[in-house]
Amino acid sequence: MRKLILYSFIVLSFIMLNFLKSISQINSEILMPSPSDPIISFRIWFKVGSVNDPVGKEGLAALTANLMVDGSTSKNKYEVIVDKLYPMASSYNSKTDKEMTVVYGKTHYDNLEDFYKLFIDAIIHPAFNNDDFIRVKKQYINYIEKNLRYSSDEELAKAVLSNFIFEGTEYSHLASGTVASLNAITLEDVKNFYKTYFNKNNYQIGLAGNFEEKLNEKIKKDLSQLSDGSINGLALSQPKKINGCEYLFVEKNNDATAISFGFPIEILRNSKDFAALWLFNSWFGEHRNQSSHLYQVIREKRGMNYGDYSYIETFLNGGRLEVPQPNNPRHHQIFEVWIRPVKHEHRHFALRAALRELHTVVENGITKSDFEQTQKFLYKYILHYAPTSMIRLGYQIDSRFYGVEDNGDYIEYLRKNIAALTLEDVNNSIKKYIQFENIKFAIVTKDSKKFAKDLIDNTVSPVTYSTPKPIEVLEEDKIIENFKIKTDITKIKIVEVEEMFK
Amino acid sequence: MLKILFLIFFISVNMAYSDVHSFRKVFPFDYKVEGLDNGLTIIFVPMQNNGIVSYYSVVRTGSRDEYEPGHSGFAHFFEHCMFRGTKKHPGGEFDSLVTLMGASANAYTSDDLTCYHLTFAKEDLEQVIELESDRFQNLFYQEREFQTESGAVLGEFMKSKTSPWFLIEETMLNTAFDLHTYKHTTMGFEADIRSMPTMYDYSRSFFNRYYRPENVVILIVGDVNAEKILPLIKKYYGDWKKGYEQPKIEQEPEQKAERNAKVIYSGKNLPILAVAYKSPAYSPINKVDVAAGLIGDILFGQNSEIYKKLYLNEQLVQRMDYDFGQNRDPGLWSVYCEINDEKNNDYVLNEIDHAIDNFKISSINEEELDKLKKRLMYSFLMSLETSEHVAGALARVVSITGGINCVDQYYNTMLSLTPKDFKEAALKYFNKSRRTVVTLRGSN
Repeated sequence: MRKLILYSFIVLSFIMLNFLKSISQINSEILMPSPSDPIISFRIWFKVGSVNDPVGKEGLAALTANLMVDGSTSKNKYEVIVDKLYPMASSYNSKTDKEMTVVYGKTHYDNLEDFYKLFIDAIIHPAFNNDDFIRVKKQYINYIEKNLRYSSDEELAKAVLSNFIFEGTEYSHLASGTVASLNAITLEDVKNFYKTYFNKNNYQIGLAGNFEEKLNEKIKKDLSQLSDGSINGLALSQPKKINGCEYLFVEKNNDATAISFGFPIEILRNSKDFAALWLFNSWFGEHRNQSSHLYQVIREKRGMNYGDYSYIETFLNGGRLEVPQPNNPRHHQIFEVWIRPVKHEHRHFALRAALRELHTVVENGITKSDFEQTQKFLYKYILHYAPTSMIRLGYQIDSRFYGVEDNGDYIEYLRKNIAALTLEDVNNSIKKYIQFENIKFAIVTKDSKKFAKDLIDNTVSPVTYSTPKPIEVLEEDKIIENFKIKTDITKIKIVEVEEMFK
Repeated sequence: MLKILFLIFFISVNMAYSDVHSFRKVFPFDYKVEGLDNGLTIIFVPMQNNGIVSYYSVVRTGSRDEYEPGHSGFAHFFEHCMFRGTKKHPGGEFDSLVTLMGASANAYTSDDLTCYHLTFAKEDLEQVIELESDRFQNLFYQEREFQTESGAVLGEFMKSKTSPWFLIEETMLNTAFDLHTYKHTTMGFEADIRSMPTMYDYSRSFFNRYYRPENVVILIVGDVNAEKILPLIKKYYGDWKKGYEQPKIEQEPEQKAERNAKVIYSGKNLPILAVAYKSPAYSPINKVDVAAGLIGDILFGQNSEIYKKLYLNEQLVQRMDYDFGQNRDPGLWSVYCEINDEKNNDYVLNEIDHAIDNFKISSINEEELDKLKKRLMYSFLMSLETSEHVAGALARVVSITGGINCVDQYYNTMLSLTPKDFKEAALKYFNKSRRTVVTLRGSN
């Protein structure tokens, strides 16, 4: 009996030890030492994002983080900070997405000590001065009122689509909020939000490059000065089901139509199907790559626009970036198609062409040769996703978020999974996650009413080209121009651009 | 190797810094420059890069070379044509081969250059050399494909023109220049873009005149061994025929009086004030010119007095930025301010004038100059993390000078500058008679 008790004790201890080990793994810092790298990268992940914005104060999470890095601290005025950073050619910044905020920066090993003092000070001693608050808030409002609404219709369409798909959920607003919500935010709100969410139990340290272990210890010690609080955990609502085709038109006096469309998909990086769906998406619409099938159909064969792509994960700033950036992980993702601006007279046709391709691939899957080519392409192409230690560190933080066990190298993990795929895996994943009937569309265009009517009536939309086209393209055009999209008049909303994000 | 890199980084900043009188090697990689008999230049920059290589073909032709009326934007359009393939590797096949390599492949055009770049696994290097040498010598496309591509270019223009920044740049160039081809943007005038589909024959002559070995520099950066690769370069590019024709670019007459323009943007936007001074052609050894090119950072950068005053303290501007780029011919150095209220346009312009006038008297002090030099060194060295970063950083100066010596020359000149050089530079270049002021107003 005593032997049994002793044995049980040993087993229990072993289980407890492993349990504690796994807990510490979950909460432990993410360290990627590389003694030969002259640059040291910091990413401090706070478990807070725009989903934590109070109703009526949307934009508060992003604004708070932004003020930490773009304002004075209790030790230094902002202009002194800028002065001190200047000779180091270093800087730090923040990024707030739906569920994550990172404060990040990098410096040369020579400047580590001086840089660190400023970086950590921004996190633990932000001054939240009124002058800084007014300045940064004004920038946010200007961004919405001017830049987002007017300077890029395609980025506008993407932002509108995201809010439209997630309406009624915590995801339904931009991280930068709305004009009204930003106006409603007070400095007191910022201070309280900081105290609640930027607390000493709600962060994770990420470090890469030529650092010593004592730096990690120092950060932990310094961050223990943050207020006491709890780990942020917010139960997220499910996106609403889409029934049929739902449209949100943004009426604007523009010269070309920007279209984005999509629907929620229940798949994340930790899913066993993820690599298969990633491969499908790469074939269908690899971002800014001529290998994209949509690109081939709309741009390459027909010269209708500058490019056409698709996504199964959030890709921010797509107009400016070639590859995705880390640290905007989300528990709810959408499948999204981005049709870059087309002439108004081609808008109906381009939309039909994209939907028809979606319809075809859902019905038939991709071919063996497409699968093999895309598998070869992706296996090497994803090496370009994480070229620097700063970005690799970001990917490791995302792996922690999603619970991906990648042995410290997400890119290698994804490559391995891609190499192991079969055509059947990919086509099964298309059947499981992709569909063509329940979709939301965001369309920034002129004379939306006319486009809406054309959609409802399924008006034939022939195109004429200023340049000759091969006969096979013209024959396919006859099918596309008649492609039916079931559109219900009750599922169309038209909003003036001025009203967006108001 | 990374360890070596680290040491070089470390040594470069500190040694170059401690002794400013002797010539220092600032560029932290050993490189090798080779030339073929036909005039093609190849620059190898070996660096440890996880088995990845960047291959940049820099054509020393950009929108600057569009001297014939009605052909603005053609260098950029032609960049698109270069993806149409050859008889050996037709467009679709070229794309498929690049796709199978998983290369990150693209191209861009600016005023002085057109750059075609691929980054890929080192085992694919020979195939890349074969593909690139083939399209640079044997580009082939039908008129129909050419015309289709013109639609994509128009689409690119349509997407760009919604930005107020595009509009102000277009207005600035058109106002500041009379004769030189810097008068138009790289995208070109809209009317010229719309008539591109009719210019098939012209496109062939464009290729024959400019896509010649004497006008191209190839940068190969990453996990490469120059000795092993050079024979392959000779094999694939050796037969490329000379034949480059100099573009007949008119020289811009000296500007003698301030110019002004106003432009209305059809969307909503804060007013933008742009002030641009005529700049000299890039010279990495001319102390006054190198100093002048740094005045943008000193007077209008994030650490400048005017930035702190107008942006941080008075909060009259939403954004202040500068573009003091390097050009093959005399170009422009510009300052941009997005102003919160149009009524402050004159005040902001006055502040810019004050900053320049004061600088002409007091120049920069030794302590600030020291900080500037440190910043430039760290900024340069920290920007060279990957083969793409290195090749990307070199492409422009390589296009301007045709080589890579200019990098060390520039940093040595920079390290030797004294406050006197800055004063002289300000007096020489930052005069009202050399400037153009453009204001943009949104349709608010």
